[in-house]
Amino acid sequence: MDYRLHLAKRMLVNKRGSLIGAVLAVSIGILVINVNFVIFQGIYDAIVRDMSEYRFGDIYVYDEEKSTIEKSDIVLINWFERIPGVEAATPRLEASATAETRILGQQHEKFNVPVLGVDPISDIRTSTIHETVGDGQYVYARNSIVVGESVASDLGGCSRGCSFMSGGETDPTATADVDLGDCQPVRVGDSVKLTITDQWGIDQKKRFVVTGISGTAGGQGFDRSVIIHIDTLRDMLDRSGESRSIMVRLQESVSPHDAKQIKNQFLRAFPNDNLRAETIEESAESTLSGFKSGIAMINLIGYFGMGSSAFAILTIQMMLVNSKTREIGIMRAIGARRKDILIIFIMQGMIIGAMGAGAGTALGLGYTTYAKITNMEFQGSLALEVNYNWQKIGETAFLAFILAMIASIYPSYRATKKQPVEAMRSV
Amino acid sequence: MSKIYGEAETEVRALDNVSFSVKKGEFVLVIGSSGSGKSTLLNMIGLLDRPTEGRVLVDGFDTSDLTDNEISAFRNKKLGFVFQFANLLADLTVLENVLLPSQIQFDSTTNNRAKEILEKVGLKDQLFKRANKISGGQAQRAAIARGLVNNPTIVLADEPTGNLDSVTAKNVIEVMKKMAKDLGQTFIVVTHERAQFGDVDRIITIKDGRAFEGEHSPELEVVA
Ligand SMILES: Nc1ncnc2c1ncn2[C@@H]1O[C@H](COP(=O)(O)OP(=O)(O)OP(=O)(O)O)[C@@H](O)[C@H]1O
Ligand SMILES: [Mg+2]
Repeated sequence: MDYRLHLAKRMLVNKRGSLIGAVLAVSIGILVINVNFVIFQGIYDAIVRDMSEYRFGDIYVYDEEKSTIEKSDIVLINWFERIPGVEAATPRLEASATAETRILGQQHEKFNVPVLGVDPISDIRTSTIHETVGDGQYVYARNSIVVGESVASDLGGCSRGCSFMSGGETDPTATADVDLGDCQPVRVGDSVKLTITDQWGIDQKKRFVVTGISGTAGGQGFDRSVIIHIDTLRDMLDRSGESRSIMVRLQESVSPHDAKQIKNQFLRAFPNDNLRAETIEESAESTLSGFKSGIAMINLIGYFGMGSSAFAILTIQMMLVNSKTREIGIMRAIGARRKDILIIFIMQGMIIGAMGAGAGTALGLGYTTYAKITNMEFQGSLALEVNYNWQKIGETAFLAFILAMIASIYPSYRATKKQPVEAMRSV
Repeated sequence: MSKIYGEAETEVRALDNVSFSVKKGEFVLVIGSSGSGKSTLLNMIGLLDRPTEGRVLVDGFDTSDLTDNEISAFRNKKLGFVFQFANLLADLTVLENVLLPSQIQFDSTTNNRAKEILEKVGLKDQLFKRANKISGGQAQRAAIARGLVNNPTIVLADEPTGNLDSVTAKNVIEVMKKMAKDLGQTFIVVTHERAQFGDVDRIITIKDGRAFEGEHSPELEVVA
């Protein structure tokens, strides 16, 4: 082995305190970046995941100008479902309604709520929103309604400062004693009346039976909406055959690049229908651009942390160099060139960098794995979407290594400036 | 040659027109009172510092115009050094210390020679001990071995026994004299303890930066 590497190693091993300090500095820098990534990229990915699962699918089609697509959803969906890689597609329609309900014969609340119209059969294949129905079941009939958790509680009067009680926990025998103004969320089996203004400005009223309550962690689903059958909504709006959007689900194996291809193929197939299509990446980009710059900001803070580890290494290396003044003098006296001295101390920096990068990456991976297997939640709501981003992990480790090396350049240069005579005079 | 430290009013003339030559294989003792310029002289010969005037010739070769890298290589091949204290790198073993001068030239063939010399200086059993785990006398003997490993033209020693008790010092001096004899090695040794060395080939006395041939006597003639 090169004596310089050997010497660099020995000098570090014999200064264990400094070595541990320097390695910790590097590894903590890496850990911070990894933890930031797990949390913030995890939240971002979780939001994108939910956006894709609940609202946008992998490809989202809507009309460029008008609020609805007039072209038959059957045509569009049939087109998509013939393309290899497409799992399913479903139409969606949106509107706004006034909802009111009666509990124990009393009208409780009257609210404006967004209404989502779904086609139960294809929606189940395209979206996982049906899985968010924790209580009861998804829309299955023309008069069934799934009520979002927040709406259920609002309609029950729970928004007026009362504590939330879920339907399941309420003792049915106790309801008779409840004050009329008291909090009593809407439950499966209750009825809800929706008033929707159709496209001609005429109010259409219809009574629905609550078949399910939908709730999601982090409220990314339709917790603040109600969901009904798309054809019922079309009837009420008098918009037969129209949809707000087409949501397309691709097979797992389809890459983002292929998704883009399918999207473009679709746009070429329907050139005259004023349709727009976006992949989930594009939808997320426009919706979450603020969040993205937030992540960039936090990453920047992480890199500042790394910068301060580099500063710590610079300080520790300066100390090491100064404590080795005499040794440097001896080496110079017996014939080591300035370059050899430089290499010895830069090698020290590389050893510190490599050990720190190894330890930091191990810690970071440990944390990432922990977050993944425990389905770590952020603030008790949204479960993080944890992924091993090997490129990022590798880049961070490499950057830390390079920084440790760069931080060693100045101390090493100082070491080469030590004159053998002067070095040896310092005892 | 001359060596002047500092400038103008703070100027110190540490060496004042010193000129002498040493023959191959000579064991030369340099003596003189403290501050007389002995270390300065040795540093000049060892190319650890440059003279203000004059030059150092080794094997007839003028060293004045060497670059920093050339000086390093020159020191490595032609000179051996033994200093007063802590000569060895504490992070390495005794053997590694002795091998260092050859490793600096990426020469890995000296292992046996290093062991041989270490045996001659009586450190056969200490090869793999950390350099800071051996006694002062052993460390000085290891330094002598290191000074010899590259088969240099001159070994320079600045008060090699200055830090040792008299018994140990005697032992180290014996080792030096033995090596000089066995290997025909040139030694230039600075010391305060003239008496410890007994018979040597030659003595140079430094007084106020000037060199005189022989021992004591203030009226020594200037070495030509
Ligand atoms: N780097 C320096 N800068 C200024 N003056 C110096 C320097 N080195 C030595 N001197 C001066 O030069 C003179 C000779 O010093 P030198 O170290 O050669 O003496 P010495 O004979 O080795 O003394 P000692 O026996 O105490 O080791 C002294 O006056 C000393 O103060
Ligand atoms: Mg001296």
